[in-house]
Amino acid sequence: MPVSREYLVKRLVLLVFVVLGVLVITFIITRVIPARPEFLWAGPHATEEQLKRARQELHLDEPLHVQLYYYLLDFFKGSWGVSWRTRSPVLQDLLTALPATLELVVTAFTLAFLAGVPLGIYSALNYGRRADQVVRVLTILGASTPVFWVALILQTVVGIWAGLLPAGKRVDEYLVYSTGFRPITGFYLLDSLIQGNIAVFADVLKHIIMPALVLSLYPMSLASRMCRSLMIEVLNENYIRSLEIWGVPRRVVLLKYALRNVIVPVVGSLGLSFGYTLVGAFMVELVFVWPGLGYYAGMALLSYDYPAIIGAVVLVAIFYSLINFVVDLLHAWLDPRVRL
Amino acid sequence: MAELGLYLDLIRRNPVYLAGLVIVSSFVVLGLIAPYILTRPEDAWGLAYSIDKRLMPPSLEHPFGTDEYGRDVFNRVLLGARFSLVIGVGVVALSLAIGVPIGLVAGYMGGRVGTALMRITDMFLAFPPLLLAVALAATLGRGLLNTIVALSLSWWPWYSRLVYLQVSSVKNMPYVDAARVVGLDEARIMFKHVLPNSLTPVITQATLDVGSAILEASALSFLGVGVPPPIPEWGLLVSSGWHLVSRAWWISFFPGLAIVITVLGFNLLGDAVKELMDPRLRNILSMRRV
Repeated sequence: MPVSREYLVKRLVLLVFVVLGVLVITFIITRVIPARPEFLWAGPHATEEQLKRARQELHLDEPLHVQLYYYLLDFFKGSWGVSWRTRSPVLQDLLTALPATLELVVTAFTLAFLAGVPLGIYSALNYGRRADQVVRVLTILGASTPVFWVALILQTVVGIWAGLLPAGKRVDEYLVYSTGFRPITGFYLLDSLIQGNIAVFADVLKHIIMPALVLSLYPMSLASRMCRSLMIEVLNENYIRSLEIWGVPRRVVLLKYALRNVIVPVVGSLGLSFGYTLVGAFMVELVFVWPGLGYYAGMALLSYDYPAIIGAVVLVAIFYSLINFVVDLLHAWLDPRVRL
Repeated sequence: MAELGLYLDLIRRNPVYLAGLVIVSSFVVLGLIAPYILTRPEDAWGLAYSIDKRLMPPSLEHPFGTDEYGRDVFNRVLLGARFSLVIGVGVVALSLAIGVPIGLVAGYMGGRVGTALMRITDMFLAFPPLLLAVALAATLGRGLLNTIVALSLSWWPWYSRLVYLQVSSVKNMPYVDAARVVGLDEARIMFKHVLPNSLTPVITQATLDVGSAILEASALSFLGVGVPPPIPEWGLLVSSGWHLVSRAWWISFFPGLAIVITVLGFNLLGDAVKELMDPRLRNILSMRRV
């Protein structure tokens, strides 16, 4: 792998600083911006006594840098506070919800890749023609549509009115109990396959199609647009012309030589849209009652559950930084021209 | 200015780009005049409700139907254009006000101050888009101004980085050296000679970002941390019909459509500008067809 040790160390150090930065910013958001944080902490109906206790618990009477110290200490000890809504530790809640979201997001990205890349290539091959214009407008439309609105419309039309697909949830609970399905990894598609439980697998697939499709619209548009512009560029390179002059079949030129230089940055851009898609999942999960991180964070937002909101934000931000790191490594690994 | 004319001419020749231009200009005009052309102002502002007219499907009298309080959805969507315009322009303007000075100082001064400022910028960029805004909006509380502030606080780093890159290259141009040789003081060079020559791409980007700002504001409203009711902001209108959507689809459908069309307009225009400004693609235009 063409990645130097210095680079790895440098990036890991940077990652630590980014996470610290995220923590400092969330600290400011929760402790400095609200005029009286103890009100948020103790809830809307707190008594004078409870407010006083909240001030002590939050160390609000200490100087700011001491407060920050306590905040970081809490974070690294693994207690991310207690959710006001579920009354259990936030980190535990988040980790329970994480697999459902990852399954949804990974499915969405698979769809985005499988549909976006061919669309982009098709568009590039028809550069400037009507087909290209149509694909471009469609992809711009995909990036302009509020994800919650599409989710709502699709759920109503396909799920409720037509009754073609389940309108919400991850799996039919009755089927889970009657077939003795047990989650192992938390990825239901994987778990049901491992256990050879075809009935549950089919049911999970039916549940995931709609939310995954809605969530994939943005990354799909991105992949297609990226693929199109890179393909146009690559097809004008001299090495492609040489191949054509030598009489290499067009299929081979496209799939073996051109696509290879396009696919890596496309995957990279998909990786970078991961963070945005995770936030999109907040809304899609709320609409489809999908019991993941987004549903948890969404419910937390609707019930002003601040420890949970902040926990979800920190977790997603850390995830986002990690993904960026992995994308860069993958980039170097897949593309021999990149040396880090 | 001559360049602008060229762009307009190129845009006019492509029907897709022209559509973008038409949508954006009609949206701006609508946003400006909306409060004065309402046929049912008290419905639009959410001041009155009539039980006997609730949940009426679209008809000639109520083109977009009525909501659960009997208010005319068409009028509410129409007035929503004003709020979307205010939010979109507000977010971009406030972000520029924060981002441009930081990028300018960081880029022009460089050194330790510049590095420190850009590290702070990077910290903000470490948050996925929209997520920071959601967290900020949740703590600031619902409100029109709070929504604009929350979005701007997560938006400015993009501008400060763009300005930083521009200023870093512009400050090395010979004419800046010449200004220094002539004996102008640094502040004057920075504001009067470097800044104006670094702003064009920033302003272009900011103008096109109005669409994205509207989209993100609607997401905040939908999540219940944005604009409070009864303001007829489009995202909020969609969410207000959420629990009724299978019985009264029109309450959520039309405001959502308004968002799609508006944001699409900005993005089409943005696509046009990017394509026209990208020298590589411009060259390809004159090359063979692939």
